[in-house]
Amino acid sequence: MLHAQNLSKEYDSNLALNCLNLSVEAGDIYCLLGANGAGKSTTINLFLNFIKPTSGTAIIDQMDVSQEPLKTKERIAYIPENLNLYGELTGLENLEYFVGLSGKKYDDGTLAEYLKEAGLQANVYKQRVKSYSKGMRQKVGIAIALAKKAKALLLDEPTSGLDPKASNEFSELLVKLSNQGVATLMATHDLFRAKETGTDIGIMKAGVLVEELSAEDINHSDLEKLYLAHMN
Amino acid sequence: MISILTKKELREVLRSGQFRIAGLIVILLTAIAVFISTGYYRSVQQQHYQAQNNERNVWESQDDKNPHNAAHYGTYAFKPKYPLSLIDQGVDKFVGISIFLEAHKRNEAQYMAAADQTGLARFGELTPDFILLFIIPLLVILIGHDAFTKERERGTINLIKSQGVSMRLLAFGKWLGVFIPIAIITVFVFLLAGVLLSSLGDFGQFSWNALLVMMLIYLAYYAIFACISIIVSCLARNSGIALVGLLAFWIVSCLAVPKAATNIAETNYPYPTKQAFDEAVALDKSKGLDGHDPWSEAAKQLEEETLKAYNVSTLEELPFNYDGFRMQKGEEHEAEIYFKHYRQLKEVHSAQTSVYRKLTVLSPYLPVRFLSMSLARTDYNTHWHFSDAAEKYRIQLQKALNDDFAQNSQYGNWAYKADKSFWAEIPEFSYEPPSFNEVLGENQKNIAVLSGWLVLAFAGLFISTKKL
Repeated sequence: MLHAQNLSKEYDSNLALNCLNLSVEAGDIYCLLGANGAGKSTTINLFLNFIKPTSGTAIIDQMDVSQEPLKTKERIAYIPENLNLYGELTGLENLEYFVGLSGKKYDDGTLAEYLKEAGLQANVYKQRVKSYSKGMRQKVGIAIALAKKAKALLLDEPTSGLDPKASNEFSELLVKLSNQGVATLMATHDLFRAKETGTDIGIMKAGVLVEELSAEDINHSDLEKLYLAHMN
Repeated sequence: MISILTKKELREVLRSGQFRIAGLIVILLTAIAVFISTGYYRSVQQQHYQAQNNERNVWESQDDKNPHNAAHYGTYAFKPKYPLSLIDQGVDKFVGISIFLEAHKRNEAQYMAAADQTGLARFGELTPDFILLFIIPLLVILIGHDAFTKERERGTINLIKSQGVSMRLLAFGKWLGVFIPIAIITVFVFLLAGVLLSSLGDFGQFSWNALLVMMLIYLAYYAIFACISIIVSCLARNSGIALVGLLAFWIVSCLAVPKAATNIAETNYPYPTKQAFDEAVALDKSKGLDGHDPWSEAAKQLEEETLKAYNVSTLEELPFNYDGFRMQKGEEHEAEIYFKHYRQLKEVHSAQTSVYRKLTVLSPYLPVRFLSMSLARTDYNTHWHFSDAAEKYRIQLQKALNDDFAQNSQYGNWAYKADKSFWAEIPEFSYEPPSFNEVLGENQKNIAVLSGWLVLAFAGLFISTKKL
């Protein structure tokens, strides 16, 4: 579903991403680990077509994102580290708006179902989002993905700053979506969550994917050692 | 898609305290301005009718007298006020409201409303046109300045972009989000003015067409400001910079360019001073026939030509009173001189207008201002039109009086008196301003420039989205 083919990005002769090759298939949760500046967010931004690659191709559902920017975006959902919504609108209205932008239209009842599925309490649907916690906003982000029927999720440190309970709830939602066949590419610093939630783990350093492994093949302790070994 | 974008923008705008407070202030100011203008208009209109009727009564109440004495006694032409002047007072307060019509002389309009005001009037007045031209664009800027900068500042722009929406559509949706609330306020104001004007019987001939076109012109003006607000918001780094940039645009287009245009026009094409104008007229008059001076060279020449034309040897033999005939010829000569000198003034006016027209490319305010005043019949063109109509009436009046004197008396009989019933036979001055179609025809260039602004503003709006 998500494929990076020799993907590189250079900023003023600084190589932010160097010849990345990776694949995330339907149902996979691929966690990208790495220090700040390792190239995780650059990878996500290239898949989103927010930035243009210096070379290589980012492919979503067999389409080059540079060639088909609008069509590829119809197939994905994006949740950044801080999912800022419109504070003066309610959760329901925010969901209606963002889903509407992707060309889908639902009645309030259906939208409420998606919010419920994303784990949001029914009593806050019609509250203005300015009163929402970060965890609640991230759940609206998941609801957008659900309502949009996204085939792939691009997540840029989505659990950063969430309390453990909220973080766990978020991971459960990712697994639920994974079981429905959604491919997920998640940039994260959370080794524990990567091991618990991910199916595949990639470690990046200075724009290079230095390690790629299956989450099942490694335990928490070894993952930490491997990560630190690459960081040193 | 557009409905979704617009719905969200409207929800945000209408829920923002900023808009509610500013909108309320604008509506309150507009209501006060309309109230004040209505009162002023009714008072002026009433004075106009009273003065016109009184003056006619005075004219018709003259006793038996020599028609040329009546010509010197004179009468007044009063400039009517028109319904849409309630919305745009234009230059009405700075040009006179009546012209004294007398023999031998074309007078300027006198009794400017501004002359009756104190120095405080220099600070400006709260009028509907002030709100429409200056305040509502500020409201547009207030709503639109952060249309995109806010999205960037709170990080929602990436979430929007990730949904696969076209940035042009997004920009258009944001434009609608700014324009629709402003359009609702504008339509409400004009509808209110229309209902008010059409329900007042003494408000003269009211045209819904002119009101509708005036409303469309203001809506185009706000559409341009809305586009520019969104463009600047799209390009600016943050909301503060966008606001400062837009306020600078407002200052330049609404204040600086119009004032610079006035200075440039007056410097390059100055009107002669009143003294110079009067001296030039007096000099030209002295070179020709003076109806009161039978001994001048011009009078002697006229006498010879007339005697020859009628094949008689003395003035007494002429089939009319030569004194009346000479008076009329004198009038015709003086009318030509005034025509020549006023045409020169009009040429200066046209040259000044062309300066304004050239500068309309720098400011959407200028074409809107001119169109609005023209439709309200409160511009300089209407004033010239009135002045010319009054002069035409003066010439006809003098001819009627001199002809009566010439046809009904004998040469040398200055004791001749026309019967007082004669005064009522002279038709009353009645003035029809340029028609709606004429106004539109005269303003084709302004309409073209405003349309150009609108097209360029939308082009800029769509091009600027490439920066997103």
